[in-house]
Amino acid sequence: MDILQIEGLSFSYPGAAQRAVDNFSLTVDSGEFLVLCGESGCGKTTLLRLLKRELAPAGERSGRILYDGVPQEELEARVSAHEIGYVQQNPDSQIVTDKVWHELAFGLENLGVPTASIRRRVGEMASYFGIQDWFRRDTDELSGGQKQLLNLASVMVMQPRVLILDEPTSQLDPIAAADFIATLHKLNRELGLTILLVEHRLEEVFPLADRVVLMERGRLLLCDTPRAVGERLRGRDIEHPMLAGLPSAVRIYQALTAKGECPLTVKEGRQFLSAHYRPAKPEPPAAPLPAGTPAVELREVWFRYERDLPDVLRGVNLRVYPGEIFCLLGGNGTGKTTTLNVAAGLDRAYRGKVLIEGRPIREYKGNTLYRHLLAALPQNPQSVFLKNSVEEDLEEIPGAMGLPPHERKTRVADMAERLCIAPLLNQHPYDLSGGEQQKCALAKMLLLQPRILLLDEPTKGLDAGFKRQLGGLLEELKRDGAAILMVTHDVEFAAETADRCALFFDGEVLSAAPPPLFFADNTFYTTAASRMARHLYPYAVTCAGVAEECRKGGMIDD
Amino acid sequence: MKVLQAAHPAVLLVYFLAVTLVAMFVWNPAIQLLALAGGAGYAFLIRKRGELKGDLAFYLLLFLLIAVTNPLFSHNGVTPLFFLNGNPVTKEAIVYGVAIAGMMLSVLLWCRCYSRIMTSDKFLFLFGKAIPRLSLVLSMALRFIPLFRRQMKRVGRAQKTMGLYASGGYVDRVRGGLRVFSALITWSLENAMDTAASMKARGYGLKGRSHFALFRFDRRDALLLLVSGLLLLLTLCGVGAGLTDFSFYPTIGELRRSPAAYLTYGTYGALSFLPFILEIEENLKWTYYRSKA
Repeated sequence: MDILQIEGLSFSYPGAAQRAVDNFSLTVDSGEFLVLCGESGCGKTTLLRLLKRELAPAGERSGRILYDGVPQEELEARVSAHEIGYVQQNPDSQIVTDKVWHELAFGLENLGVPTASIRRRVGEMASYFGIQDWFRRDTDELSGGQKQLLNLASVMVMQPRVLILDEPTSQLDPIAAADFIATLHKLNRELGLTILLVEHRLEEVFPLADRVVLMERGRLLLCDTPRAVGERLRGRDIEHPMLAGLPSAVRIYQALTAKGECPLTVKEGRQFLSAHYRPAKPEPPAAPLPAGTPAVELREVWFRYERDLPDVLRGVNLRVYPGEIFCLLGGNGTGKTTTLNVAAGLDRAYRGKVLIEGRPIREYKGNTLYRHLLAALPQNPQSVFLKNSVEEDLEEIPGAMGLPPHERKTRVADMAERLCIAPLLNQHPYDLSGGEQQKCALAKMLLLQPRILLLDEPTKGLDAGFKRQLGGLLEELKRDGAAILMVTHDVEFAAETADRCALFFDGEVLSAAPPPLFFADNTFYTTAASRMARHLYPYAVTCAGVAEECRKGGMIDD
Repeated sequence: MKVLQAAHPAVLLVYFLAVTLVAMFVWNPAIQLLALAGGAGYAFLIRKRGELKGDLAFYLLLFLLIAVTNPLFSHNGVTPLFFLNGNPVTKEAIVYGVAIAGMMLSVLLWCRCYSRIMTSDKFLFLFGKAIPRLSLVLSMALRFIPLFRRQMKRVGRAQKTMGLYASGGYVDRVRGGLRVFSALITWSLENAMDTAASMKARGYGLKGRSHFALFRFDRRDALLLLVSGLLLLLTLCGVGAGLTDFSFYPTIGELRRSPAAYLTYGTYGALSFLPFILEIEENLKWTYYRSKA
């Protein structure tokens, strides 16, 4: 039975030349798990918001949306509020109240459900989601993953029939994200809940979907089962940013020519490669040891936040050389960000040495450390901006560096050209998308002309296209001789961009090595491409790398 | 978990108001002593680890300060003990000073117990019933404050690594602080848009909103309310009958020693020690359970 029907829906924002959603038609079956994907700015979020009447943006619109056979405008307010649930991207800003239990009850209070039934429904939902252990806590004490789970639970408690989610995992670390997706899958499987999900990170979601919808510039490009989508996309330009977000198995399949069904998971990808390709002779890549003075060196650095708290860093040894990208990988809350803060001079080690270009960090007085030397891009790019337009914000830096006004303009213009952000200069920083914000924040950092760049989770919330641009930029900076130290959860990005990777665990940096060696050595903490192909090509860790090895090894003819 | 923490907020409010108001307004050494002892005993039982030392010093100092100040500035009373700069320091003024200090101390101690037991959610629950909208606003504010604080720290740090407004200069720092603050206002509005969307998406603004809380009024609460109400009533009868009247000036009066007066002291003592007794009873129960297990 159809629960949602979208018929020829078009929408444009006031004053916009282009339509955000363009003649879009789709029918969603009851109980279906639908994944929507497409590049940033292709109109996914606008479409989702149009489906939830309370959140529909203002603008010009035509076409029809039917919910359960009833046109959206004629739906009763109560039905619309509780039968269609909506979860947004940012875990923090969606939480309304200060207590977990109150947040769960909030929606039911709005519906005017009597206290006794609220008590039961909240209790039931808390048990289902495993919230009972933190039921009475303050919402502020929760981790990002717990917050997003709470947001989901407080929508589910209203017993919706359709659940709409707009990039719910983009701000979560991989483990919390996988948990969240597993919960969604469980809801779909066990309750027959209809789910519409927009995601960038498709590795786990793609195989779970009943149908995948691909959008491009507000239009529906493809809508089919995941396998069929994988097969129909074959032969298109694999460098297309939209395809870069697909799961590794699908991307490798697309880069190859062997016949057969499109694999979706690591397991299927492994079987596909074994069935069609011969192993190549493994050649361990060379691991040239960088020489010279390290740009950043940490020597047995110990750090804790307070006298009585446990150590976060326990004898960290780390060297980052000019002209290399160094990636620090590891779980949540292990102290990766703290390492960056210590290297950036924000936190002070109580034992050990921090050397910046061979000099102890303490010898850099006042601003000298941050002028032409070191810049740190924080995890949350919004925290970089203070002004009302990107341009004003960027001009602050050359101003602070003492340049005359006309030169400030040229500096900013040059930088904007280099990072392709010229069209964004007049906008308010908060109006930009996550990826655009990240680029503008990076531009601000680069105006400081640093020789050392510290990045904290630079790919958080970015789609594949932006990630690729960021990778290219870092490559360029590296060629100019910058030393780049990056902390990330994103194994795929590290494998593609880093010169050396290291695992951060238990307050220490372990086993720094070039990505092929590093990931070939890891069994679990490695890229999906490597897990798929390691039995044939142990040193291939990226999708492109695997595809190349396959071509080298040759096809098994059958 | 302390015994009273599990009680219904309304009962708690009645109890704390009763015991504190009597302590504040009934000027009688016996009553004052009972209030102080009960408050101190309970505060001791529900203290957090490592609080005792600092607290003891603070309260003693405060007590001495207030007790000494009165006779220095007030020269009422008929029994001068000695002269200071030509002014008499009287016995009555000293006693009165000690009494004020004791009263202040017991009220402070009771307020401290109150704030530990009556957490914000309990307070909100009580007043939310009367003004539902206000209670939601307060709850949202309590949610927002830590969020704002965290973002402020983040922005401050980000600005520092760009070498902006972090040079030692005082003016520079104040200017930096102001700019961070104004940017945070924008950020708050942006954040509020998301929150508003989340509220609307969950049906905020529909007619007939109900009000949910975790608290239940059970028989234990009724009993507690009844007992404290009864004790308060008896005490007030005694106070009304003038059994607790006491004078400090010009001469120090005498405590009443009739059976009725003893009954009044007894009822207030019971009221004041009620939480202490409940807590001790609970502790004994647990020791007993543990030794049996």
